[in-house]
Amino acid sequence: MKPILEARNISIRFGGVEALKNVSLGVSPGEVLALAGDNGAGKSTLIKVISGVYHPHAGELFFDGAPLHLRDPQDARAKGIETIYQDLALADNLDVGSNIFLGREPMHRRFGVNVINRPQMRKVAREVLDRLDIVVPEKKLAGPVRTLSGGQRQAIAIGRAIYWDARVLIMDEPTAALGVPEQRKVMELIHGLKAQGVAVILISHNLHDIFGVADRILVLRRGELAGERLVKETDGDEIVRLMVGDTYAATKTATAT
Amino acid sequence: MIKRRTLLQSLTGAATLGAMGASLPFNNLVRAAGKPVVALLPGVVDPFYFTMKRGADQAAEEEGIELLFQIPKAWNVTDQVPILKAIIAKKPDVLLISPVDKDQLIQPLKEAADAGIKVITVDTYIGEGKYQTGSGKADFPLSYVASDNTEGGRIAARALAKAIGEKGSVYCENNKPGISSTDQRMVGFEEEIAKFPNIKVLKTQYNEDDANKAAAHVAAVLAREPDLAGIFGVNTFSGMGASEGVKKAGKSGVVKIVVFDAVPGIDASLKSGLVDVAIAQKPSEMGYVGVKFASDLIKGKTIPTWQGTGFVVMDKSNIDQEDVHKYIYSN
Amino acid sequence: MTDISIDDQLGRIALLTRLWPWLFLLTLLTFFEIWAQIEVGRSFLFNAYNAQAILLAASAPLLLATGQTFVIITSGIDLSVGFVMGLAAVVVAQVTLLTGNTEIALLVGIAATLLVCAISGWISGTLVARLGVPAFIGTLGMYGVARGAGFLSAGSGMTVSIDNPGLVWLGTGWVPVIVTGLLLLIMHFVLSQTRFGQYTYAIGGNLQSAARAGIDVKRHLIKIYILSACFAGIGGIVYTARYAAGAANAGESMLLDSIAAVVIGGASLFGGTGNVIGTLIGALIIAVIQFGLIFIDVDAFWQFIAVGVVIILSVLIDQYKDKLVRAA
Ligand SMILES: Nc1ncnc2c1ncn2[C@@H]1O[C@H](COP(=O)(O)OP(=O)(O)OP(=O)(O)O)[C@@H](O)[C@H]1O
Ligand SMILES: [Mg+2]
Repeated sequence: MKPILEARNISIRFGGVEALKNVSLGVSPGEVLALAGDNGAGKSTLIKVISGVYHPHAGELFFDGAPLHLRDPQDARAKGIETIYQDLALADNLDVGSNIFLGREPMHRRFGVNVINRPQMRKVAREVLDRLDIVVPEKKLAGPVRTLSGGQRQAIAIGRAIYWDARVLIMDEPTAALGVPEQRKVMELIHGLKAQGVAVILISHNLHDIFGVADRILVLRRGELAGERLVKETDGDEIVRLMVGDTYAATKTATAT
Repeated sequence: MIKRRTLLQSLTGAATLGAMGASLPFNNLVRAAGKPVVALLPGVVDPFYFTMKRGADQAAEEEGIELLFQIPKAWNVTDQVPILKAIIAKKPDVLLISPVDKDQLIQPLKEAADAGIKVITVDTYIGEGKYQTGSGKADFPLSYVASDNTEGGRIAARALAKAIGEKGSVYCENNKPGISSTDQRMVGFEEEIAKFPNIKVLKTQYNEDDANKAAAHVAAVLAREPDLAGIFGVNTFSGMGASEGVKKAGKSGVVKIVVFDAVPGIDASLKSGLVDVAIAQKPSEMGYVGVKFASDLIKGKTIPTWQGTGFVVMDKSNIDQEDVHKYIYSN
Repeated sequence: MTDISIDDQLGRIALLTRLWPWLFLLTLLTFFEIWAQIEVGRSFLFNAYNAQAILLAASAPLLLATGQTFVIITSGIDLSVGFVMGLAAVVVAQVTLLTGNTEIALLVGIAATLLVCAISGWISGTLVARLGVPAFIGTLGMYGVARGAGFLSAGSGMTVSIDNPGLVWLGTGWVPVIVTGLLLLIMHFVLSQTRFGQYTYAIGGNLQSAARAGIDVKRHLIKIYILSACFAGIGGIVYTARYAAGAANAGESMLLDSIAAVVIGGASLFGGTGNVIGTLIGALIIAVIQFGLIFIDVDAFWQFIAVGVVIILSVLIDQYKDKLVRAA
């Protein structure tokens, strides 16, 4: 199938650090692409390029086959690219609803002026959390999210991304702070999104999760593409070897096709 | 006056230096043969000092003296000292100066004295303001000519007592403690008002030169003391706030207000009843006496090391008289 | 069972820390009321004169504090408001006089004043938002500039007298209080009900997340500094109206009162929290303390101590508030 989102030959530097060197990826509707790699491999950096947070020094993005220029994250969201960032990106002082709707608040008319529709935001907050089976006491739903647990906050970040009917959903370690039942819930959710034709990019350190949900695995190592495998044609050991680089030289020639 | 100038200290230097630079050279000075030269260097552009200059001009004409006049654009050592240096270079016989800082101007003025220029300070002083005592490093100026603020406070007390029929309660609305001029006015006021047995003095309020605060104080004092008879506004903003506070309380004319200084526009306030009495300093007299003293020095006479200048009590009844109205400070 | 009761107790403490400015104000008023009844046999509070005096005293710092509330919520601070107020007080007098001192001239004067303030706010905002200057330093620079400009605009001396019927009206009786109250209501609405307000909180909570949510953070910050400067400008206009003279030092001592009002009202200097009603309560607390202590005839310097203590107290409570809320 034709990829909905493609990144070609992306390079980016932070000062002296070359965080990404000539990395390409593509993801198609209904496909789950996993990004694997050690800490500092460049996974988060790559998805921040795709979601408009960083501007690459070289390389291009394509959406539906057409060149895509992202000035800021808002541009990406307008295209239907939703992102759950590893560092969550919640406004800690705002409530659940405000975070879900941040930057796209629903409005309604009151006393002849447009005001933020808080009842709707609260209602949606409830729905989103229910959909993820996350229990948050009613009184905390209206309080700042800073008072919630790490898992609850992560659920909000996930909920925010799925609420907006994404065409491409990028998830950077979405289950890191979650308990086992909640993790399972998120995996189910990804299956559901996949069935609906959403393209998903999943970053995870959990190979079990990756093999459970992904179609394809892309391994990054020190900012470079270390290998790309279809899940059904590989196993955990090989992925780990790609990540740590034992077979680096060998795989490099193997993937250069 | 003092407070006004401390606020001006912060005027940005760049703009003022530029403006001042233009006025530095005394190109047009033609020293008339044999005519003695006196320089007057006040603190800052202000109606108070322009009024002082007019007094100095008059004395200079009477005494046949050439008067140099240079005025800093900001109340600031870095503005005043370069002008002072230029004056020293011109070597007048006598220098009349309102030092903008009592410590930082000692050294520059010592230079003038060492160059043979006789120094008299007007309105403000260096060191302790006590000259020719033979002790301390700031006793070299020959005289200090200024308002006697303690006496001014006494005059204010008598004026307020008269305005309220010598009975009732009064209080002082002041800038803030630690300023020599206003502190001295308070001392004089309290000494004198104590002589009236039927006048009760309430606690002094400090407004930090903020008219809004002064007005709020008046409101609160009136809430406690609805029969308040009078207020002494120890400086301009205290007076402004006091009259607004009294007006808002609907007590204009009932609560009498005495303020210090005769800033431009005080005549309108007196006529409208916003202020009952204004105590005007006599900057023109400071200038006049200063130049007279300078002339005496040139003639080899001795002069007093301290000379207090007088005050004018202004109210609705006399403000239109020419010999009172002329004491309102003006440019 | 025990768990729940501890939870409840913590919840109640958390609620208390949120409501404490109200409770404190209430306590103050009760204290002064009792004192007044016993000592002078009059009511302290139910007295139109006292009420007007307190509201009037609160209104000047409140105008500065309203804009300051927005700035502090974004975790900034605006130190320039005091002298921007002074500059505005002088500019409105000068421009009105220059353009003929009619009613129309007054409108021109007010418009020019707000324009001058908007420019100074734009500069502060640009320094902070686009050039990355810390708010404390950037607005301190503007503090100096506004101060110098104010004195320069005033010419020799630092006040400009003006007698204009429109201005007189603006300064009469309850008018300054009503003007302040209306503006306060509008800004309360803006902060709590509009996207502008929502983004203000979001920026204070997490600037990065606000940017990732597509909010133009820099533009928004600049708008907020303009807002703050314009409120200072209104403060200056009201000053000139009340005293029939604009003074370049009009707001000098109001700066600290305005920040104090915001902080006492529950805003954190770290940003993200605060609201206009809280600021109102904060300003009222300060005004009631200052008025009340004179009313019960306490020496002037106790006012400073009392206000200082309340500021320290509110900052301490702010520090513990979070811990308590999290625990609850
Ligand atoms: N904003 C930044 N400024 C400077 N260096 C950065 C920045 N973001 C990332 N880097 C560097 O780029 C490299 C890749 O970082 P990145 O966050 O993409 O790693 P990652 O693969 O997501 O790691 P992890 O699994 O720990 O999340 C690291 O060396 C990191 O230090
Ligand atoms: Mg990462």
